[in-house]
Amino acid sequence: MVLKTIRSATDKWTQKDGEFSFLFEPYEGDEVVALDCEMTDLDPQKAELVSIAAVKIKGTQVLTSDKLDIKLQKPDSLTGDSIKIHRIRGVDLRGGEILTDALDQLLHFVGNRPIMGYYINYDITVLNRFIRPRFGFSLPNKTLELSNCYLDKVRRANPELQPDLHFEKIAEKLGVPMVGERHSALGDAITTALMYVRLLKGPVPTC
Amino acid sequence: MSNEFDISHPPFDLLTDAEQQQLLTSLDIGYFGKNEIIIETGQSSDYVFVVMKGAVAEIDTKIEADDPDSGVIREYAQEDIFGAISIINGSSRYTFRTLEETIVWLLPKSLFLKFLDDNPAFAAYFQNTLAEKARLLESRRSKQQGGGDMSAFMLAKVGASVLRDAVVLEAGTSISQATATMREQQADCLLVRKGDQYGMVTRTDLLEGVVLNNLGLDTDICDLASYKLLTVQFDDFLFNALVLMTRHKIQRVVVFEGSQLAGLVELTDVLSFFSSQSHVIGLQIERASNLFELARAAKGTTALVSGLVSQGVKIRFAMDLLAALNGRIIAKAFEQLVPEEIRQKCCLLVMGSEGRGEQVLKTDQDNALILADDLDWPECSKVMDKFTATLLEFGYPLCPGNIMVSNPEWVMTESQWNKKLAQWSGSVEGTGLMNLAIFVDAHAVAGDTRLFNRVRDQLFTKLEGNEVFYSYFAMPLRRFSTPLTFFGGLKNSDGMDIKKGGIFPIVHGVRTMSLQHKLRETNTFQRLEKLAERKIIKKKFAEDLAEALAVMSTLRLQQQLRAQRGEVAMDEANLVSAVNLNKLDRDLLREALHLVKEFKSRMSHRYHLER
Repeated sequence: MVLKTIRSATDKWTQKDGEFSFLFEPYEGDEVVALDCEMTDLDPQKAELVSIAAVKIKGTQVLTSDKLDIKLQKPDSLTGDSIKIHRIRGVDLRGGEILTDALDQLLHFVGNRPIMGYYINYDITVLNRFIRPRFGFSLPNKTLELSNCYLDKVRRANPELQPDLHFEKIAEKLGVPMVGERHSALGDAITTALMYVRLLKGPVPTC
Repeated sequence: MSNEFDISHPPFDLLTDAEQQQLLTSLDIGYFGKNEIIIETGQSSDYVFVVMKGAVAEIDTKIEADDPDSGVIREYAQEDIFGAISIINGSSRYTFRTLEETIVWLLPKSLFLKFLDDNPAFAAYFQNTLAEKARLLESRRSKQQGGGDMSAFMLAKVGASVLRDAVVLEAGTSISQATATMREQQADCLLVRKGDQYGMVTRTDLLEGVVLNNLGLDTDICDLASYKLLTVQFDDFLFNALVLMTRHKIQRVVVFEGSQLAGLVELTDVLSFFSSQSHVIGLQIERASNLFELARAAKGTTALVSGLVSQGVKIRFAMDLLAALNGRIIAKAFEQLVPEEIRQKCCLLVMGSEGRGEQVLKTDQDNALILADDLDWPECSKVMDKFTATLLEFGYPLCPGNIMVSNPEWVMTESQWNKKLAQWSGSVEGTGLMNLAIFVDAHAVAGDTRLFNRVRDQLFTKLEGNEVFYSYFAMPLRRFSTPLTFFGGLKNSDGMDIKKGGIFPIVHGVRTMSLQHKLRETNTFQRLEKLAERKIIKKKFAEDLAEALAVMSTLRLQQQLRAQRGEVAMDEANLVSAVNLNKLDRDLLREALHLVKEFKSRMSHRYHLER
């Protein structure tokens, strides 16, 4: 946490006249961005991005009309052995420009809004791995962890409880329908957004 | 894909591809807690709402405190649309409030208004009455199921299908000339014009005239012709022509266009058009020379009707056909059991739903007998017991209320009937009025119809102007509430009794008005048409009520068929649950129940039932 603060302060200083200085302004609005990425690996140091989706939340509305849904092109040559040997280089070369465009869109979409997601730090870590080499900074945004919000709310009613924190289970307990295909970035982002809105507004879930 | 916005449902399927794309990219999602107000009375709405999950009630807050249904006008569940009318009218007439936590799709007002402007079909959807909407949904449904052929086929009009030109000869034509003409024109029958009247002469008439009655070959064919012609209109459904032929055991009907002769329709042509079993059963009934053969024919009717309905035939046509078949089965059984000379001095009535011609499966026997005052028939009760037992064997269950000819209380002489009806109509308690209600739907099926006509007309006259009576008679309308709160909490809804909550109020209300206005029709649909014709109720409202009745009868039939197949318990045969309905049926049912409620409140007002 402290490390992140120091790093952000440094980034802010270096970016203060840059294109992305707006990212470092304190956020005054009432919107939150729900984010979800699909990746190739569970290890954040190895994982590569397959798709990025984000949707804005304003009050109790999920603004699905204002969304980001990017599927990253997988380089065709990048199969079998070539992946084993050249994985990172291959992505850099073949998909690099597209990935840079995608991240640029993401930064403009999110702005300085807080980012919310399910195990969001994992997504942020992977994103930063690709953002920092290209833009020279890491995402400075405040993050909101859905499973923590849920845990807080449940524990507030009953401190003894150890709720099941699986994605599907939380959705079920909150009575939120799964939107889209499970494990499509956009579907999960919208479902996460709905769960968040539900947690803010609705009654304490019973476990 | 689950919980995606479904654009294949009406009205969104009416949008063009480009509009649908635009819709999908413009939708937001909103979350509302329990008992949260979404649109307040008088407010406009910024969105059209489509429920993704949850339940919302439209509430008249002015009457919320006193109304037995808490002021609920309508309810909305998964995939239902609300807020559109509030946008069209500029403000909402009622308050929309959630019944449980609800997630809704939000379609922005500006886009909705643009669709209304650009797409007339989409706009029309929001302005249609129930009858129009039902037609629209039905045609789309039959298209979707690929079963459109059958219903289109059953909806064929007389004029457009099998109409034949009639051979018309002038009065004064001789038998030999007529025979030559028929041969020339390859016709089986011809029409003869006598003044402004038409008569029909068939080959059989010619043959019997010459051979049996020894008429000379130069006899005027006017003497052979029969002038009681059964006619249909050019734009009638062909199905009605078939029902008419089945009911009257005839081979052809004459078709008029207005008052102009348009041609003939022959049974064989109709049959080749509908290769259905209806007439096969009709023939079996006619040819049955004993009760055993008749029983076999009777057993085929249920399969016939469920077949027709599942193929998309309108329930009203199926009801008509079944009533015609049942009427003849009962009449034929009566003929087999009651000697000819007795039959001329009595009249058999069918009552209740059978009398109204509104059952689709065999319902309980509800029948009665009127005897002429001068009839002496000691075996009467014995024969009537046998008659009831015979019908039971045919598959018509006994009437639990014992309203059957085997019960001497329902077998009376004409003057006894008159006295009894006077007594019933004078009573203000339940049984008498209930019996009267049953009698009001009576329909003569065998014997001397004049007996019945006299008894009924005397009843009409007696009740004329007796406002207090109608008020008591209409009272049962208030007995069962019409549940509008039946869509909320879909998951734990265990169904409603559609017969009590929906069908009965329409049938009884229409029955009360028909009695008051001395209508001889017993069928609720025909009564409604007649009431509208006499301007007793508005035509549009009558049409909507008829559609509501048809919608609910269809749903009830589906459930009854399910019960018959053993998929649900027999005592749930009238229970319709919103859970099992698809979106289209649910839309129609909601509108139908809403109409029932409105009808009930109008009836309450008309007959002063609020006491």
